[in-house]
Amino acid sequence: MKYDIVIGLEIHVALLTESKFLCSCATAFGAPPNTQCCPVCLGLPGALPLVNEQAVEYAVRAGLALNCEINHFSRFDRKNYFYPDLPKAYQITQDVFPICTNGYLEYYIDDVLRRTTITRLHLEEEAGKLVHSSGSIVDSEYSLVDYNRAGIPLIEIVTAPDITSPRQARLFLEQLRLLMLYMGVSDTKMEEGSLRCDANISLKPAGSTVLGTKVEIKNLNSFRALERALEYEAARQSRVLEQGGEIKQESRTWDERSGRTLSMRSKGDAPDYRIFPEPDLPPLRLEPDWVFRIRETLPERPLERLHRLEESYGLSRYESTFLVNYADFCQVFLELAEEGEDNTDLANLLMGDYARLAREQGHLEPQRLAGLLQILQEGLITHNQGKAVLEELFKSPLSAREIVKEKGWEVLKDPAQLKGVVQQVLTANSELVERYRGGEEKLWGFFVGQVMRTVQGKADPQMVNELLKGELTQKS
Amino acid sequence: MIDRQDVMRMARLARLELSEEEIELYQRDLNSFLVSGRKLQQVDVSKVEGTSHAVAVIGELRPDVVGESLPQEAVLGAGPQVFNGFFKVPRIVEGQE
Ligand SMILES: [Zn+2]
Repeated sequence: MKYDIVIGLEIHVALLTESKFLCSCATAFGAPPNTQCCPVCLGLPGALPLVNEQAVEYAVRAGLALNCEINHFSRFDRKNYFYPDLPKAYQITQDVFPICTNGYLEYYIDDVLRRTTITRLHLEEEAGKLVHSSGSIVDSEYSLVDYNRAGIPLIEIVTAPDITSPRQARLFLEQLRLLMLYMGVSDTKMEEGSLRCDANISLKPAGSTVLGTKVEIKNLNSFRALERALEYEAARQSRVLEQGGEIKQESRTWDERSGRTLSMRSKGDAPDYRIFPEPDLPPLRLEPDWVFRIRETLPERPLERLHRLEESYGLSRYESTFLVNYADFCQVFLELAEEGEDNTDLANLLMGDYARLAREQGHLEPQRLAGLLQILQEGLITHNQGKAVLEELFKSPLSAREIVKEKGWEVLKDPAQLKGVVQQVLTANSELVERYRGGEEKLWGFFVGQVMRTVQGKADPQMVNELLKGELTQKS
Repeated sequence: MIDRQDVMRMARLARLELSEEEIELYQRDLNSFLVSGRKLQQVDVSKVEGTSHAVAVIGELRPDVVGESLPQEAVLGAGPQVFNGFFKVPRIVEGQE
């Protein structure tokens, strides 16, 4: 039987605040363990939490970017459970009244614009960090806990189950990550855990409207892990169903090493969170004016930028996508590009040799790069020499024009001078000239090569070709 | 009615160890709460908005400024087992196919 895949995602995004969500402990990554904790984030008796205004603003910004409704009334709830990464034995979250609801995210799949519904977005606090003795939660004898991360503000974003393939899930998540980065609400580093994704996946007979039993996959800490885990899980569920088995509703963890999902059998009871309104925090009320100001100052979204690069700067989808994905390159591009013109040359320069050098050594002053483009356009140097000048720009403080002058790299522009070189080469190889004229046309390349070598590459190849043509046909 | 099993389950969720006498005591107490609750249910609240907080305070927000944290020794002092600046906890889950 053929099955349709149904996927929904839950994404946790750590917000870029300086201090934690409900206390003033620092959020900086990499501090010694358990040095950024206080009575509030450890849940010591008598401590009173206060909501970080910046966290609320970031959540609203993210919600607006995701086309959500911003709820002027939202409420915090207490979710009770025992787990070693939770020092208070409860998590402050938003259950019944989240801050944002009912939005969507648009993204491309092979040039087709797709839309995934965002069911809700809510604020909550991060848990501590567990380090497992054997590297994996499933077979560790003991775990170590660091509560520096406990209490960092998070937003949890929940999608509707309308993603239909593992690849689509990855493309969605890539676009979401980029959006959060553009909004400046998170550094979205999956390797540091500031962007995490859990996936729910079920299968149903092709075309059926009845959903199958879903399985939750955790521990997906890269785009690749998300796609691979979903592929593995879809195949596993399909195999179970083919053999007449039943899918058990459960949580599974992705095991990178074996490339499999493994069932997580909890030692305790089935979860019973006994959620109730958080007594230590009053409800959150947002002033419409305040929300309006955030909406007015919302940064450009990646998809808007993509379309702008295509429409106003004459770039292809491929070039635009590169620039949208690498905002630092895009900044250089936008500084140098001419709106309303074709900026393909600039984009290609940035994507090619410049990208390699800039990634190793950091970006150039855009104006120095502009100088290189200028002399290329003037024909002062050949395209090949442009690469050498670019290398020099990263090493030397001189401008592109000064480098060319200092190295003596100007193209021989005087046809008379170049003609002399061409004639010299042909005279020196008179035997080969005879053979060429006798029909050995492949010798053409040899003559071009000899001329270029004589002028150390500083000739316009087109001019060399024309002069050679003149000389070789003239006297026959 | 709250039975003995309910009390034991609630105690387990809250990590409370109850003696036989305490189980009976709390079962009796919790059932008397339910009796009071049933009385309240007779009140007509169809025109009253739901309340989650005793006082109607507007949420006061805090500016995003870093303050002092506790020293590491003080933080770790609350844990029964520590290792290299971390709290140490026993095995959490068991994996299977
Ligand atoms: Zn704290």
